[in-house]
Amino acid sequence: MTLALEKIVKAFKKDVVLDGVSLSVGRGETLVLFGPSGAGKTVLLRLIAGVIEPDAGTIMIKGRDMEGVEPEDRGIGMAFQNFALFPHMDATENIAAPLTARNMNKTAITETVGKIARMLKIDHVLHHKPKELSNGQKQRTALARALAGEPDILLLDDPLRNVDAKLRFEMRLELPRLLKDQNATVIYVTQDYKEAMALGDRIAVMNARGIEQTGTPEEIYLTPANIEIARLFGDPVINLLDVSPVQVEGGVFITLSGVPVNIDAGYSDMVGRDCIIGIRPEAIRFVEEGSAEAIPLTIEAETPLNEKTVTLGLTQNGREIMVSRPAGTPGPSQGTGYIVIDANHIHLFDRATGKRIVPVKTQAAGSQGVAP
Amino acid sequence: MNTISPFETVLRGIAITLVILFFMFPIFWIVLMSFQTNATILQVPPSIFFEPTLQNYRGLITGQLVTDTSSLEIRFMSNLFNSLFLSTASVAVGLMLGVPAAYAFARLKFRGSEDIAFTLLSFRFAPPLLVLLPLTIYFQQLGLANTYGGLIWVYQLIVLPLILWIVRGYFEDIPADIEYAYRIAGHRWWTTFRKIALPLAGPGIAAAALLAFIFAWNNFVFALVLASADKQPVTVGALAFITASGVQYGQIAAGIILSIAPTFALALYAQRYLVEGLSLGAVKG
Amino acid sequence: MTVLLKLSGVDKFYGPVNKGVHAVQNINMDVMKGEIIALLGSSGCGKTSTLRMIAGFEETSRGTITLAGREVQALPPVRRNVAMAFEGYSLYPTVTVGENIAFALKAARLPTAEVEAKVREVTEMLEITDILDRYPTSVSGGQQQRASLARALIRDADLHLLDEPMGQLEPQLRTLLRGRIKHYIKERGLTAILVTHDQTEANALADRIAVMEGGVLQQFATPQTIKEAPANLFTGTFVGEPPMNVFAAEASDRDGQLQLDLGDGLHLTYAADAFAPDVRATLLARKQIMLGVRPYAVHRDTHGARAQVIANQWLGDQSHIAATFAQGTIVLVEHDRADVAVGDAIHVRLAPEDLHVFDKDTGTALSHGAQMA
Repeated sequence: MTLALEKIVKAFKKDVVLDGVSLSVGRGETLVLFGPSGAGKTVLLRLIAGVIEPDAGTIMIKGRDMEGVEPEDRGIGMAFQNFALFPHMDATENIAAPLTARNMNKTAITETVGKIARMLKIDHVLHHKPKELSNGQKQRTALARALAGEPDILLLDDPLRNVDAKLRFEMRLELPRLLKDQNATVIYVTQDYKEAMALGDRIAVMNARGIEQTGTPEEIYLTPANIEIARLFGDPVINLLDVSPVQVEGGVFITLSGVPVNIDAGYSDMVGRDCIIGIRPEAIRFVEEGSAEAIPLTIEAETPLNEKTVTLGLTQNGREIMVSRPAGTPGPSQGTGYIVIDANHIHLFDRATGKRIVPVKTQAAGSQGVAP
Repeated sequence: MNTISPFETVLRGIAITLVILFFMFPIFWIVLMSFQTNATILQVPPSIFFEPTLQNYRGLITGQLVTDTSSLEIRFMSNLFNSLFLSTASVAVGLMLGVPAAYAFARLKFRGSEDIAFTLLSFRFAPPLLVLLPLTIYFQQLGLANTYGGLIWVYQLIVLPLILWIVRGYFEDIPADIEYAYRIAGHRWWTTFRKIALPLAGPGIAAAALLAFIFAWNNFVFALVLASADKQPVTVGALAFITASGVQYGQIAAGIILSIAPTFALALYAQRYLVEGLSLGAVKG
Repeated sequence: MTVLLKLSGVDKFYGPVNKGVHAVQNINMDVMKGEIIALLGSSGCGKTSTLRMIAGFEETSRGTITLAGREVQALPPVRRNVAMAFEGYSLYPTVTVGENIAFALKAARLPTAEVEAKVREVTEMLEITDILDRYPTSVSGGQQQRASLARALIRDADLHLLDEPMGQLEPQLRTLLRGRIKHYIKERGLTAILVTHDQTEANALADRIAVMEGGVLQQFATPQTIKEAPANLFTGTFVGEPPMNVFAAEASDRDGQLQLDLGDGLHLTYAADAFAPDVRATLLARKQIMLGVRPYAVHRDTHGARAQVIANQWLGDQSHIAATFAQGTIVLVEHDRADVAVGDAIHVRLAPEDLHVFDKDTGTALSHGAQMA
């Protein structure tokens, strides 16, 4: 483990921000800390960087306890959300900051800065002061500064937050390669689930209670631990409907608009219990009227969304359902549509706890329980 | 809507002229007085047409004050030097002590830091005379009375809180992230203070120094009580112009002009720098 | 369909006419009754100035604005019968959120019961019924924005103007509220103009989008048309996420086939009849062109041109693949999970019907697919 956090506690006055957070990140791994603002993600980064001290718990970097170790001695690079460039220094001096700290000679500095600047396509603005740089250039300069010292651990605090959509997309595609080339261990903080899924080898989902789930993007998206996490990933947001599964001959069913939908038989333990069903908008398909198990839907509005078409519809009981399909594929834009639900992509949550119900494997033996 | 009509331009011009006239008139009048003899100053009605004379300035610079009835020795030039030396030295000492302290108060939130900072500021609330009496006794016992060192020390009462509070605000305005970034890049805190905090707070430090200089320069009570003739600044020395044979308005005016000249020049010079400093306040982002 | 709003030769100068900054240049636009129009562009493109001229907060330097049959450019805002939601929310801080929303209706002396019914309806739609008794400063930015939207939408006006109406909305609510707002506007036959810098929002809500840049209206068309036939390179790359792939190319005739040289030794070869004769002639006459292709229109195909994968990012319902191609990067969107890894070689096909060709110097569209622009 390059980085290991053990039961970190941090409070500001009476406000407990982190209450026993543990986390470990392996060498060369990119871990995304994802969560809404106020979850303490930035505080966690600052603790690792050493600019603030934890109230309790240990931070180990490469097996060494960081207690009492100054930020400059931790071998860390960090890019800040607001860039935090030195306003009185030009881009070169900014990027060179980790190099001057090591008393590197001038030619070596120029060479290293030039190399990084070319990689990040800012070599033409190296003599500009931060205020003469565009937002995108500032962001790249901040990134270059974090990378220049070839740190063991790279902390990126929502670095794409303050750049425009186009640049954000471009950097999202570019960053993974850049980070792999550095071979650094990366902790990346973001509030954008797409960034989290695109960049993370693993994602740690954090909220005010701490880290709620850690896993690969697939695990988080396909098996969210609870309703809250299911809602945080995916756009449009997952459809959530109150249901109570019933056992009918042939399997376990839920009822939508009077139409029974067959769900995994492994959910049989939940029969008669209050549940919430989560259906991703892309797991719903429009079909022809009269198709088997088709659920009628009154179409309210159609809103295109990045190569998808999102349809907002009402069930017969007036419940809202969003359906997402690839742009250009057929679907009704008004009147009544008919949908079928892909039963393999249904999540069942316990209405009382919000936890996801893991279906019991019907073939193999296994105990029913909630996701970790 | 976005263009200004000529009528509006004229109105604005008149308004601005009125304001300037109101504030500038006393200074203008003093300048005129400094080139007049007491006789022309006191004539009724006053006139802005007169035969200018340099006798007031000559008197101040040579130290020979010639009045209608007598001639008097004054030490205006040595007073001026005293003012300059005391103010400059006080500000220098104030900066050396105050800037690091301001940084500490801005960045380190230790127990009671707010109380200590406030206590320091509260020195400015107390009437100077209140602290002056006990101080005089101490100073006499310690042998500090009537020394430059002693005066500079007492002047810290004026200078230090000012520098501390203004500079602290400027340090607080520098986003902590900028300093963190420099630390994380591998620099010690002392280097960070010198290379990041000091340059970025530079305009604020300059503004505080200027203000402190002016306050020190204008101080009267401390010097009146604690300094004898050879250490007196101009503010106290000016008392000499009130002679037995009357108030020497012409010399007072010339003395004022000479004594405000340094601060005025300093302010003019620093103005450009201060404005730049205010706009550089946009360090965030 | 009747024309509700007509802008004719509208100019905006900041400073003296013809001398000051020419922020909006000769805008001509017809908005039909019942339409939702988006003014789309980056900051400083003139979209907000245009909206403010329509609302009356900004003087119209030149040209006429006709709204519901009246010339309004000289009228004060209050006499134009428009409702507006401001970017900065501008809620009255001294009254509750509910009173803010009901303000205009109460001022119009509507019966209390009717006001209450309307407030309930609009606030249920925007999910702010629980904050009606709170004061604006005590609710979140997203809630303030929804309250501001409610205050504008509840009014019965000829035209509803919405300035960046959804920028601060909570991401989980955004898509749902877009659908509900669109439905609300359409159901009541309201006419709305929204200003946004977010092309996603413009696409989601608008019947037609007016793309602006540098004070000039670049294109005013349906989202579909802008996607399939962008008027120029700016519109083509500004609208659409991920943005359109653009490459410089040189067209030449190779034994009757049309060859596009993308540099770095990469040639795309098309059969003689792949393009209409006039398109083919134009390409060969221009030689140096800019080639655009939308990410969703790039298909993997074993017979395609070679590209090397540098990123394959799965977002749950889409995969974004980036690959080095020619002298740059090509981006593909696929709706299923793509089983390619970084470093893999893939082959991509750019079908003639998906190619957008632009003038190299002016950026004006020359052809879309097989047809001339």
